[in-house]
Amino acid sequence: MSESVILGIDLGTTNSLAAWMTPVGPNVVRDEAGSALVPSVVAFSADGQVTIGQEARAHAVQNPLATVYSVKRLMGRGIDDLAADLDFLPYPIVSGPHETVRVMVHGQAKSPQELSAVILREVRRRAEAALARPITRAVITVPAYFDDSQRQATRDAGRIAGLEVLRIVNEPTAAALAYGLDRREDATVAVYDFGGGTFDISILRVSGGVFQVLSTDGDTHLGGDDLDRELIDLITSEIRAEFGRSLTFPPATRQALRNFAEATKIRLSTDGQADVEVALGADRVYRRTIAREEFEARAGRWIDKTLDLCRRALADASIEPGQIDQAVLVGGSTRIPLVRRKVGELFGREPYTAIDPDEVVAMGAAVQAGILAGVQRDTLLLDVTALSLGIETLGGAMGKLIMRNSTIPCQASETFTTYVDGQTAVDIHVLQGERELVGDCRSLGKFQLKGIPPMPAGAPRIAVTFLIDANGILNVSARELRSGREASVQITPAHGLTKDEVDAMVADSYTHAVEDLTAHRTIDLRNEATRVLNAVDKALADAGHALSDEQRKLLDASVTMLRAAMKGDDPDQINAAMVVANDAAMPLTEAQMDEVLSKTVKGKKLDEI
Amino acid sequence: MTESSSEVRPAKCSHCERPMSTPIVCDFCQALNAVPATTDYFALLDVPRRFDLDQQLLHRKFLALSQHAHPDFHTGDSPEVQQLSLRVCAALNDAYRTLKDPARRAAYLLEVLGGKSSVEDKAVPEGFLGTMMMMQEEIADAKEAGQQHELDRLREVLQTQHDGLIHRIAGLFGEHQEAIACNAVRKDFLGEIRRQVNAVSYVRKLLSLLGQLPARTVGLDAGGHGSAETGRDAEAR
Repeated sequence: MSESVILGIDLGTTNSLAAWMTPVGPNVVRDEAGSALVPSVVAFSADGQVTIGQEARAHAVQNPLATVYSVKRLMGRGIDDLAADLDFLPYPIVSGPHETVRVMVHGQAKSPQELSAVILREVRRRAEAALARPITRAVITVPAYFDDSQRQATRDAGRIAGLEVLRIVNEPTAAALAYGLDRREDATVAVYDFGGGTFDISILRVSGGVFQVLSTDGDTHLGGDDLDRELIDLITSEIRAEFGRSLTFPPATRQALRNFAEATKIRLSTDGQADVEVALGADRVYRRTIAREEFEARAGRWIDKTLDLCRRALADASIEPGQIDQAVLVGGSTRIPLVRRKVGELFGREPYTAIDPDEVVAMGAAVQAGILAGVQRDTLLLDVTALSLGIETLGGAMGKLIMRNSTIPCQASETFTTYVDGQTAVDIHVLQGERELVGDCRSLGKFQLKGIPPMPAGAPRIAVTFLIDANGILNVSARELRSGREASVQITPAHGLTKDEVDAMVADSYTHAVEDLTAHRTIDLRNEATRVLNAVDKALADAGHALSDEQRKLLDASVTMLRAAMKGDDPDQINAAMVVANDAAMPLTEAQMDEVLSKTVKGKKLDEI
Repeated sequence: MTESSSEVRPAKCSHCERPMSTPIVCDFCQALNAVPATTDYFALLDVPRRFDLDQQLLHRKFLALSQHAHPDFHTGDSPEVQQLSLRVCAALNDAYRTLKDPARRAAYLLEVLGGKSSVEDKAVPEGFLGTMMMMQEEIADAKEAGQQHELDRLREVLQTQHDGLIHRIAGLFGEHQEAIACNAVRKDFLGEIRRQVNAVSYVRKLLSLLGQLPARTVGLDAGGHGSAETGRDAEAR
């Protein structure tokens, strides 16, 4: 058990925030202004400046091509997965190796992991400032329905941000931890987590400090962003109808429309209607008052999707909606009145809204961090894997080895053999999903088992163990039983970064971190040097006449050198010049002291001193 | 009535070398130990090896052992201990999932007692297949005609059949245990139980077609779809 704090981080689609565990409960990190949320937005200027959070979001319209938001939607995904999103996202997205994507920022290709790392680094920085100590370890949350590639991408992002990610924890589970922390009555809880980009539903049994997930379901491509799009669709189709069918919307306009839509959606949660006004240039203005009912008519089908998933999760847990004791709402999108109404109808009770839907996940991550630190000893968390895991079998079928909603950690074994004499490697294609055919499931990549001792075809007995750990991430190990030899497992990921790629990104970020540190130090030293020079100037005015010619020449030379060093970027040079200047100024400061002393003493009688 | 008929060769704690009364956690030094290969799920969870297993006891033992084995409580330990906790915890979860569900427990107990697997013995009780084929046709007809009422009725019937089979299996295991005590196990006793267990598998498949899973005891750890998918999952390993 170490003294260092483990940070709990909610890396959200729209907003990110952090919390840490104290003896009286989780505490959310806030800045001087008291705000906890860091918008998950990263903006790049042409000269390499990076802005994160509120400031980046504020200038999104001016900089639509290089302001990256909703990066979470890109994590662990390939370009094909994002086909529907490409129309809406104004920043350029291209294909990357191993079926990943890259965002093109001023000609540079950045991976979603690196972009998420920028956000994480900022979250970390704020936490270190708030806690006045360095932070190197964290728990990061992900949607429960995130697959293996998406989880690995999140963990990689943490690494690139210089964090040791001790646990990847599911968002609804984290919310349940925060909700149930001080409650001791047994309860069956449904956590309805509707965020900016993802939806999760988890059914848990909470009993005396034991949090047991019974089932979980979700959609990693369903969130508040989709409701924004409904409004964008409404506005753009009406604009086209009014001002011209072929009107195109450049990136800056698309970004502005997105801002309008989001603001309108939020406004309609409190007001019955909202006014929209869009200036289209050339004196064309689109004006519209959107009523809440109109929005609800369009939003309804998305919310109904979430309810279907809720019913599926209930069925998997063999629980009737009426058996749910508490429906806990998580995520900003649960502020929408229609969502609250429909969730209330499904479970037959008012949903629980007393916990801040924006902060509850980070608080839960802090509780998990507390468990890992050994300070939360009476809490046991039993989570499940959301997706079935299997391998490709003959004919393109998916053979399931681990069923969805299995408590993790869990494992399964399968025995393989070779087809050719002397074959020393065997390939396995690992997948996640519920469908029967490989093409309809999610590929985790190609796993090559190497180092099999050469034997006749069919002779080797390679026992492969698939273990899903507490992060919900797959670990594969293999042993040839006849020889007892451990086989090495080489993974070519699908939708992920290789270890080399991550290492390179970590090194790259470290270089930048060092550069940042150097720049910081340079600024500090320049400030100190300015103070030194000001002091020397004043001292010269008071006692410059007391210096010999030689001493004066030395001092002038050192001052010139210091001023020159201050113009440059080398902190060591500034420091060295400052040392020399301080030495050269010593006779001056002594003379100054004598002057001051003689001035105060002059004209005073001995007994007054 | 025997409590546990597993051969007890007390293992020694790898940490303090003292004999251990249960496989995973040392009574003396509380260190986590690896699961010996010969341990069955009943021994692993320290519960009696019988079909009529007290579910509350099973749950308590599972939680108590999880408190020792779960990776969350070994974050500061060496990589070896962390790996060990992963494996032990995975085994515990597997054991709990198997012993909690009556059909899985039955299949597993059969295996432990030396009976044939569902792959080796696919037989079902006499007349059962005929009944099932008829039900399948009725389900298909009701689905096509969109008769929700009829589908609900068929679901009820299947559920009752399911519960009846479990009840019969429980009785048979009880008889089996008594027969062993009297040294009077009739030939193919295990085969008889196997036929009932195979029948349960079948009924569950049909129930899943209707979108309903058999009721669980206390509704914990639902990984239930397994039995509908492949024969492998209806069997415990």
